[in-house]
Amino acid sequence: MIAIVTDSTSDIPDQLAEKFQISIVPNVIVIDDQSVLDGKDISREEYYNRLPTMKVSPTTATSSSGMYQELYEQLFEKGAETILSIHAPRLLSGIFGAASAAAQTFGDRVRVIDSGQVTLGLGYQVLAAAQSALQGASLDTILSLLESVRQRARVIAMLDTLEYVQRSGRVSWARARIGTLLHLKPFVEVRDGQVLSLGETRTRRRGIEHLRELLYRLGPLERLAILHTNAEDDARAFLSSLKMDVPSDPLVVNITTVIGTHTGPNGLGFATVIRA
Amino acid sequence: MLSDPYTDKSTRDSTSIQIDGQALKDLVEASLVWLRTNQQLVNSLNVFPVPDGDTGTNMVLTMQAAFAEIENSSERNFGRMVHSLAHGALMGARGNSGVILSQLWRGFARALDNVEYLDGRGFVQALASARDTAYKGVVRPVEGTILTVAKDAAAAGEHALAETSDLVELLDRVVQAADVSVQHTPQLLPVLKEAGVVDSGGKGFYFILEGMLRHIRGQTLDVPQAIVQSLSTMNLENVMEAIEPGQDYEVVIDFRPYEPLDLGSFYTTLEEMGTSIQVGEGDGMYRMHIHVPTEKRYEPIDYTMTLGTITKVAMENLVAQMEERETPCGGNGQIVPAVIQPGQIAVVAVSPGNGISRVFSSLGAAAIVEGGQTMNPSTQEIIGAFENLPTDQVIILPNNKNIILAAKTAAELTVKKVAVIPSRSVPQGLAAMLRLIPDGDLDSVVEDMIAALDEVQTCEITIATRDVEIDGVEVQEGQVIGLYNGKLVLSETSLENACLGILQHAGADEYELITLFYGSNLPRQDALRIADLVREAYPGLEIEIQEGCQPHYYFIISIE
Repeated sequence: MIAIVTDSTSDIPDQLAEKFQISIVPNVIVIDDQSVLDGKDISREEYYNRLPTMKVSPTTATSSSGMYQELYEQLFEKGAETILSIHAPRLLSGIFGAASAAAQTFGDRVRVIDSGQVTLGLGYQVLAAAQSALQGASLDTILSLLESVRQRARVIAMLDTLEYVQRSGRVSWARARIGTLLHLKPFVEVRDGQVLSLGETRTRRRGIEHLRELLYRLGPLERLAILHTNAEDDARAFLSSLKMDVPSDPLVVNITTVIGTHTGPNGLGFATVIRA
Repeated sequence: MLSDPYTDKSTRDSTSIQIDGQALKDLVEASLVWLRTNQQLVNSLNVFPVPDGDTGTNMVLTMQAAFAEIENSSERNFGRMVHSLAHGALMGARGNSGVILSQLWRGFARALDNVEYLDGRGFVQALASARDTAYKGVVRPVEGTILTVAKDAAAAGEHALAETSDLVELLDRVVQAADVSVQHTPQLLPVLKEAGVVDSGGKGFYFILEGMLRHIRGQTLDVPQAIVQSLSTMNLENVMEAIEPGQDYEVVIDFRPYEPLDLGSFYTTLEEMGTSIQVGEGDGMYRMHIHVPTEKRYEPIDYTMTLGTITKVAMENLVAQMEERETPCGGNGQIVPAVIQPGQIAVVAVSPGNGISRVFSSLGAAAIVEGGQTMNPSTQEIIGAFENLPTDQVIILPNNKNIILAAKTAAELTVKKVAVIPSRSVPQGLAAMLRLIPDGDLDSVVEDMIAALDEVQTCEITIATRDVEIDGVEVQEGQVIGLYNGKLVLSETSLENACLGILQHAGADEYELITLFYGSNLPRQDALRIADLVREAYPGLEIEIQEGCQPHYYFIISIE
């Protein structure tokens, strides 16, 4: 049996995680020196409401290697032969490092995989792997499926402001925009663990139109999740405005606070897997 | 000084006149001198009463670049010389009129490949080729412009060829036809008629042809035609732009002459005192404009008093004014263009002011070309901006309707892959700029940028440079006028009313964001005060105020 592990940046809804037997390790947010677990100790709604008024910027942290090690041990005790531990990109977070360190004890029985993606760009890779594992697929089959989904996964979003991504210090092009026009809403794409600029917009209305255009250009879709940070009304309106074949069971997700800390509230975007 | 290539030949009026490369040089210099002499007159033929890309200046600078290319050449072959000339014109082309002029030279040269001497027949063929090339160079040719004048001139040459093959005779006919054609332009182009002017580019082209003829006939080239403009077309704002060293004072005198004015002697006397002379007339009242050295500043007044009753005198110290204007706007902070990696897309943005340059740079522009309303960069300047960038993929944002053609010419003259986004204003250019993806595919980025042009509305607030009535808007010189997407829509006595009025006209309450770029002629506190008024009027919109530092325009406003 192949067990599937990921972390909370995958944004997989609880019921899907349960259904496909996916183990999710929560990440950590540090607010005023207090560590809270992503999505557990504080609701996402509350977090994004408070974010703009927090005096000290919260920071994100990964769960400890020890926590990963414990989880892996538990899964082996329950009868797992191999564990696929699929995570957010090492270029963006320490999660991959923590999981890799824990995996060393187990030799090649634990494979730690850099998905190159975040939120459901990662989540859809994990779901595909888990579904395939439940059907009894071989490790090689699952690995090549993962690679295929990874190639076809796209995550694009419009942030409401440059402020948070500039503050995160992770993105050089965002720093260059300091001291320019005040009203700039950047479009970002995550690809191969990098946060790329897809230009900017100055108004939300135009921005949403452009976001729709960017989605249309990706062509027939296999999976679709509308992502937001406390902008559920906009997300639902965006979904229902789409004039294209929308894959069944699209998700609308208020995304993980670990990512949302760097995007700020009121962001809107999508994660999708292009049809093969 | 010009030499006369014909006096040493006894054949001045004969059909055997042959123009070689060296004689061409003299003819072109004559064109340039005559055009420069009449530069202000051409500049004053401005449809919109705004500080605009001055046609006369643009054409002079284009001719200057053309002449500079051959000035030191000892080439005798006419064909090779005129090719060099055409190349110089192409590289030095400024503004739409300059670009079309360079196309005319290009076509002219094309018909005369390796011709040793220019004769009458060759001249007529070359004019036809010039016309064809210029028409092809414009996407949608408009009649009533320099194109029409070139067409009529070429036709007159072809027609006259049936009667004579004498080059001078043919040139004479061509010049006459060009004159008639220029006078006819208001009949073809309603905006000219409405503004009460003839086409400026056509007029400039006429002076170029006439300069050659005057040179051949030994007429003077450095005294402007004793032309009296109508008072309402005197474009004094633009005259102030060109200050010659030593001509420190501007004197403007309104007077009513005792007797009908003898313009010839009036001009001659004024020429001895100073430069940039303009004379306007309306209802028997005259206005005289001149630049003079400090010690001569009262002479025009004393002289004019002998001719009539002076009703008004205005005197300004131009040097002091220029110094005031040159106070840097936007501090001295350096503008740092984006660093481009090989293979990335580099954007070159034309910007009329430091503040706007800073914004373009922060958004990722790799190079800035200074230029805008009254200063159109040349093709060469635009090429120079991207030539040394370490990439082969370039996008140019002209940000002004009068610079688009020069940008397109620049794009054609390089081995790099260059696309021109036809942005007609700074807000349009910024909207396009936001679509830049440096690592993207050039074609799809270009497509996105073009689509973004229509996502913003542009308003501009400036001062009327003369009296005029256009599109039902009556404008008096000195009033604050508002343009909406390039069209004159209002004239007001106060800046506040103009700003609020133009926003109302644009239907600003339907939008989300108003960005005001204030010019170098507006103190920051005034700009902030007006931004507050706009905020009060549009509480539902975001209002952003930015230092633009553009000259002449109090505000460039983006509505989106």
